[in-house]
Amino acid sequence: MSGQKSERVESGTADPARPTMEAQIREAARAYLEDGAVSCVIGYERGPRGNVRPAFIYEADDVDRLVWGADCNLNLVTYVHNWKQPLGRGQPVPTVAIVARPCDARAVNLLIHEQQIQRDKVKVIGLTCAGTEINGQPRLACQYCDERVPVVYDVLIEAEGEVTAAVEADAYEDIAEMESWTPAERLAYWASEFDRCIRCYACRQACPGCYCFECVAEQVDPHWTSIALELPEKHFFHVMRAFHLAGRCVGCDACEAVCPMDIPLSKLNRKLAKEVEAMFGYRTGDDPETAPPLTTFDPQEQLRL
Amino acid sequence: MAPEHPFEPKIVGFLCNWCSYAGADLAGTSRARYPQNLRIIRVPCSGRVDPLFVVKAFQDGADGVMVLGCHPGDCHYQQGNYFAQRRYALMHRLLEFTGLEPERLFVEWVSASEGKKFADVTTAFTDKIRALGPSPLKRKRAVGQPSPEEVLA
Repeated sequence: MSGQKSERVESGTADPARPTMEAQIREAARAYLEDGAVSCVIGYERGPRGNVRPAFIYEADDVDRLVWGADCNLNLVTYVHNWKQPLGRGQPVPTVAIVARPCDARAVNLLIHEQQIQRDKVKVIGLTCAGTEINGQPRLACQYCDERVPVVYDVLIEAEGEVTAAVEADAYEDIAEMESWTPAERLAYWASEFDRCIRCYACRQACPGCYCFECVAEQVDPHWTSIALELPEKHFFHVMRAFHLAGRCVGCDACEAVCPMDIPLSKLNRKLAKEVEAMFGYRTGDDPETAPPLTTFDPQEQLRL
Repeated sequence: MAPEHPFEPKIVGFLCNWCSYAGADLAGTSRARYPQNLRIIRVPCSGRVDPLFVVKAFQDGADGVMVLGCHPGDCHYQQGNYFAQRRYALMHRLLEFTGLEPERLFVEWVSASEGKKFADVTTAFTDKIRALGPSPLKRKRAVGQPSPEEVLA
């Protein structure tokens, strides 16, 4: 599904003094809300203490709350799950617009494939993203990101300067290093990392791919895992979550960004992404048609078990 | 003083009702010997075995887990073992990455007519796990078994 640029943004790019990305986002949001094309625009705003948080804009007058900066490291596609149902009996499913980075846009394709959202009910304000930061440091995911323009968008927000995609970093360097450790070393590493987990489930809440009504971690019948704050339970939770995202993770690292205990959750996801890429040549969210590898099969293949 | 008991592994086997469970039956009726360490859980298909069953089995005391299903193309439900193959190919690598020895999870195709093969793979797997020692993922560690932190120190 190819994106269509709006007239408004095209005229903006022709202008020698290109408006800032923030101004372009506000402009796009204003256009959508004034048209009545969307019920809500989901974007980033700054809270009273200066930190970035999601913003839900319902009125065109409020679009100036929207911001964009290097610290916008949440995946806003997660919030589309709140807009999947009609607002009232007999009413249509509402249309929303979301501000999406290239990694977030892949989640849109994933959710379309999984029939969670309809393409025409979600307007994607795609960002030409030069990478974001976490705690003031460039995020690991952004250092090797080879994608600067979203795979799907309705309006493209163009960067002020030149945004280059030529990143020569090896995306799986740290994974390969861990693979060279002995199993005991890896176990001790993960034991010390998982031990910090407080099971707040922020990783799950921040993830666009985690949308089960009832999570395995909280399910009582069958009672998969207890609520104890012990290492086996934490280990179970993180392995479960990583596996449920196998072949579905878009690599936005929102889970790691929101983790209050700084657990390197992206390592688990990237390990699986690496294997999925090697085994099935699949990358999540390229298009809304291709099925993730675990939901399909090839009778001819012989995998090393 | 009682003599120290040598380590005997606990093995959990998820066996497909249509092939390897019947294969285990055949191994018994044809008097093939296989170790008593194996605890068999009958499942309708290898595709029924959620990889989380495996994690839970390890945490609840298994030293090794076997998942035995029908040969590709022979699934009673046409496609269950193909899904299982993809799942376990990934799960194996994930468990390996989180610190489990890869040998502790064993996935193999055993048909209903392969009683001998069933006895062979079960014996070989049990011997391998006996040599490896207790699993590090156990909720209750064996006496004298070091914790993951102690292994690192």
